[in-house]
Amino acid sequence: MNQRIVAAIVRKDLRVVRRSRALMTPLIVLPVLLMIVFPTVFTFLPRIVGGARTAFSEMFRNLPDPVKQQFGEFTEATWIRVVHTQMLAPLMLLVPFMVANVIAADGFAGERERKTLEPLLYTPATDAELFFAKLLAAWIPAVMIAFGGAFIYAVIVNVTAWPVMHRVFFPDLTWTVMVLWMAPAFAALGLAGMLLVSLRVRGMQEATQLGGLFVLPVIALVVGEVRGAILLGPLMAVAIGLLVWAIAGALLLFGVKRFKRTSLVGKL
Amino acid sequence: MVLDRVVHRYGATVALRDLSLTVDEGEVFSLLGHNGAGKTTTVRIVNGLLAPASGSVSVFGQSPLTDGASVRRRTAVLTESPTLDERLTARETLEAFAEMYDVPRADARPRIDALLGEFGIADRARDRVGGFSRGMKQRLSLARALVHDPDLLFLDEPTAGLDPVATQQLHDTVRRMARARGRTVVLCTHNLVEAQALSDRVAVLGGGELLALGSPAELARRITPRLEVTIETDPAREADAVALIAAQDGLTVTIDRTGLLRVGGIPRERVPDIAARLVAGGIPLFRLEPHEPSLTDAYFALQQPGKGSE
Repeated sequence: MNQRIVAAIVRKDLRVVRRSRALMTPLIVLPVLLMIVFPTVFTFLPRIVGGARTAFSEMFRNLPDPVKQQFGEFTEATWIRVVHTQMLAPLMLLVPFMVANVIAADGFAGERERKTLEPLLYTPATDAELFFAKLLAAWIPAVMIAFGGAFIYAVIVNVTAWPVMHRVFFPDLTWTVMVLWMAPAFAALGLAGMLLVSLRVRGMQEATQLGGLFVLPVIALVVGEVRGAILLGPLMAVAIGLLVWAIAGALLLFGVKRFKRTSLVGKL
Repeated sequence: MVLDRVVHRYGATVALRDLSLTVDEGEVFSLLGHNGAGKTTTVRIVNGLLAPASGSVSVFGQSPLTDGASVRRRTAVLTESPTLDERLTARETLEAFAEMYDVPRADARPRIDALLGEFGIADRARDRVGGFSRGMKQRLSLARALVHDPDLLFLDEPTAGLDPVATQQLHDTVRRMARARGRTVVLCTHNLVEAQALSDRVAVLGGGELLALGSPAELARRITPRLEVTIETDPAREADAVALIAAQDGLTVTIDRTGLLRVGGIPRERVPDIAARLVAGGIPLFRLEPHEPSLTDAYFALQQPGKGSE
């Protein structure tokens, strides 16, 4: 594999994405919302919303026993721990997923729509190099934004919760596993889903509509967490990550077999 | 570049039908034909973007299907419409493609500078392509195609959208590439005048079939063997001249706005005979000028049903 060719395609794709307002808006808004606004607001929620303390206390009582055993009775400190290590944690996975999904849509379907795919097909890049470059162009920024966002999230949580916690309590092991293991897996799932969709559709709009369906596993995880059906511990995080990696790997393997110049040119 | 009995189908539609042709090194070769004649399909097959249903293709002695990367390293394609990333600048476009074609770093910068200068884009090198005119985009596309100094260059409708100066510049580039540097150029065009002016040989495609192959002059003579002749005589004897010529089988004669006689449908070998008859009839002959048939004449003759020759 010619690394220079791969790097050139990755650089070109990232430059093109960076200069698109339509692409950059969701890529900035979503991480800012989920990794800066949410942690700040949720930390202070019991203080700033009248009656919230009673409502959350009631919600706590209805949580499954394992959760209650893990976190104890409702206090402001408990609230902060539950919110950040359990309830909001899976939402963080939306960031790598969506970033990879959006960039992959632009790299595959968008490039075809703009008619800029054909000159790429005429370059000496092999099918595998093209495929790998397109994957990296979507995966690397998704993972970097996830890692960077997670770091900012951790800082915000510790700073905003300091008056209550009086110590650096975040991230815990589960969250660390989520960031380092599950986030890259969800990024891979996001781009694998988009790749499969993009191989079948002609336009960016169709691709984003259909590719967005792959977000459902993340939504399921969020809902499960909030309702207390899933108690995400380090082992569970490793297991879910492994499952997502396996699904993403299978989808990518399926996609790479269909990613051929001779097929792509038919959709130009 | 050798194509041997190449067949390609899009579903039930046959795009290429037993196409065989050879393009030699250093040649300027034109593929002519209507839309859907098979020109773009041929370019894609030669570059390994499409697999032929049957037949074989060899470029630089290699198969584009099995050695595609190696073949494409030495070829370049200027597509019909400028397919540029509008969010990149002109320089970034050339830099990206120089890297994709693995141009040595030490060579890339001076080559890019030279191309930007040659195609009149140097002062807009740092501007995004989205703000360029159609002509500038086409010039940048051509610069992009040349960034790795290809041995075989495919130009699909290269002068579409270019002004006369840019068109002339492109023609000069093609001539320079072929004559001075020994590169091979394949033009896919509807512009028959351009093809005649630039090409050593042309292939006329129709419905995926090779209708004719040869040099423009050779094809014109072979396919349209009858000439048109312009005759200038004494205006007082014009009527006699017209009567004498019109009496010959198969000849048509008209007098144009400038008073010249236009005689059509003359077989090449009968031109001296016409001249002799006019002189023998006492008609003063100030000028007799045969017009060679053009590639355009040959092309339109070929597109008539039932025509075609190799």
